[in-house]
Amino acid sequence: MKTSIVGIGQTEFSKDSGRSELKLALEAILAAVADAGLEVDDIDGLVRYTWDHTTEAAIVNALGLDHLNYYGETEFGGVNCCGAVAQASAAIEAGLASCIVFYRTLNARSGVRYGRGERVLAEEDGWLVSRQPEPPGDIYSAPFGLLVPGQHHALYAQAYKGHYGLTDDRFTEMLGSVAVTQRAYANRNPRALLKDRTLDMDDYRAGRVITAPLRVYDYCLETDGAMALVIVSRERARGLSAKAVDVLSAGQYIFPGSVPMYLYAEKAYSLVPEAAGEELFGKAGLSPSDIDVAMLYDATSMMVPLALEDFGFIGRGEAQDFLTSGGNGPGGRLPVNTHGGLLSEGYFHGLNTIAEGVRQLRGESHNQVEAETAFVTLRGASSMILGRA
Amino acid sequence: MTVIRPSDEYLDQPFWKHLAAGTLHLNCCNDCGGAHHPPSPICPRCRSFDTGWKPASGRGTLKSFAVAEHPVHPMLADQVPYVITLVDLEEGVRMVSGIPKGTEAALEIGMALQCRVVRFDDRFALPYFLPVAGAGEK
Ligand SMILES: [Zn+2]
Repeated sequence: MKTSIVGIGQTEFSKDSGRSELKLALEAILAAVADAGLEVDDIDGLVRYTWDHTTEAAIVNALGLDHLNYYGETEFGGVNCCGAVAQASAAIEAGLASCIVFYRTLNARSGVRYGRGERVLAEEDGWLVSRQPEPPGDIYSAPFGLLVPGQHHALYAQAYKGHYGLTDDRFTEMLGSVAVTQRAYANRNPRALLKDRTLDMDDYRAGRVITAPLRVYDYCLETDGAMALVIVSRERARGLSAKAVDVLSAGQYIFPGSVPMYLYAEKAYSLVPEAAGEELFGKAGLSPSDIDVAMLYDATSMMVPLALEDFGFIGRGEAQDFLTSGGNGPGGRLPVNTHGGLLSEGYFHGLNTIAEGVRQLRGESHNQVEAETAFVTLRGASSMILGRA
Repeated sequence: MTVIRPSDEYLDQPFWKHLAAGTLHLNCCNDCGGAHHPPSPICPRCRSFDTGWKPASGRGTLKSFAVAEHPVHPMLADQVPYVITLVDLEEGVRMVSGIPKGTEAALEIGMALQCRVVRFDDRFALPYFLPVAGAGEK
């Protein structure tokens, strides 16, 4: 890719924003454009998730934009956080637009909650009824009570635990290391929803089981708010005052049974074939050992060991040793989710995951790492490598 | 457990009609003989549109399981805890299933399972998978 992220903007993370998703989106977009040192009228392209409740038309009308040359949608939600950047980059490289904003707005705590079955079920004649053609909550899984993404993650977790023959204790230590390490990062991050709440391994072990083997601290935070990123060509980025971060490689990778929930993917204990990483790293001319910091979309803590192994940062089955020895922590071999992650900072469907990669490469993280490169992925379905400009 | 069903328009489809009649059938290819799930208008192996239905052997292995302790809907409050399973069938397909409420089962990844169709009314039944007797012993 020959593009750069030149602006990041967001509202606060909250449990009840008290305003519409459209207003949140507009606040985030204005903040991102200001961060880039650009004018609102410079926007000539928009990218959004199909799951977003706002529309391109609503944004164009609300902002009174002169015109858009390009608008694109990527399927699902966070699955495509890096895919959306790839799409914006491709549009810019093809000359369809020159300044594209990728945004996500959601009242995911005070409004429609992804952790609740109500999103996919209707009540009829004393029954709960599914009409969903695809997971989560589709007609083939809902009758067994498999309704929300967090329950799918428990299935991956148990498959991994069984495949590697981990004891309950060892498995608990592995995932607890993710939750505890990321909470400590969040405690130093003033933006984080859980900045004031500490978590140690005893707290983690005592956490309520939501869907075994996952506890409450393994789950991301349902969050209200919005975030936006501004993407321009690398050439144009060099002429701006903004601190640009280059998109070295970005793409999507899906296969039968994978998206949206990897329910039918062959190996439930590994979600991505090696080819996904080879493709991504190959395009950037880098290898996993060249990466300085990683942002691994952690809808649950289980996504961290899976992504570390699936992309070759560590060997298969090595996540337990890597995580329990602090490999993901400050000074570790590969610091991971230094904002606190979706577990402890907040959950803007991947945009805050990308933003922390950008902040690291700008030198603006609250848990700063000496970093020239950052890796971002959602379960391999979309991934990206960012580089310091 | 279930208090959840597919809407009526789905229950008229062959997968659900076979279950309501008491047997698990799989969507299969009349050309190459492969089975696929969920049902699809085309065979994903040879891309033949000539697909049909055949009875499943009912034999499978446990790929994964999870125990829902937290009810994600108010109507599930008296259903938890319940067990969700992923089952790899002998025919090479993956299905979501579970353990019927009130049935005790010690689960272990890779263990042998056998299908048991449980009917809820004359239109709706579900394919549960239970450990084969003795399969847990080593
Ligand atoms: Zn075929």
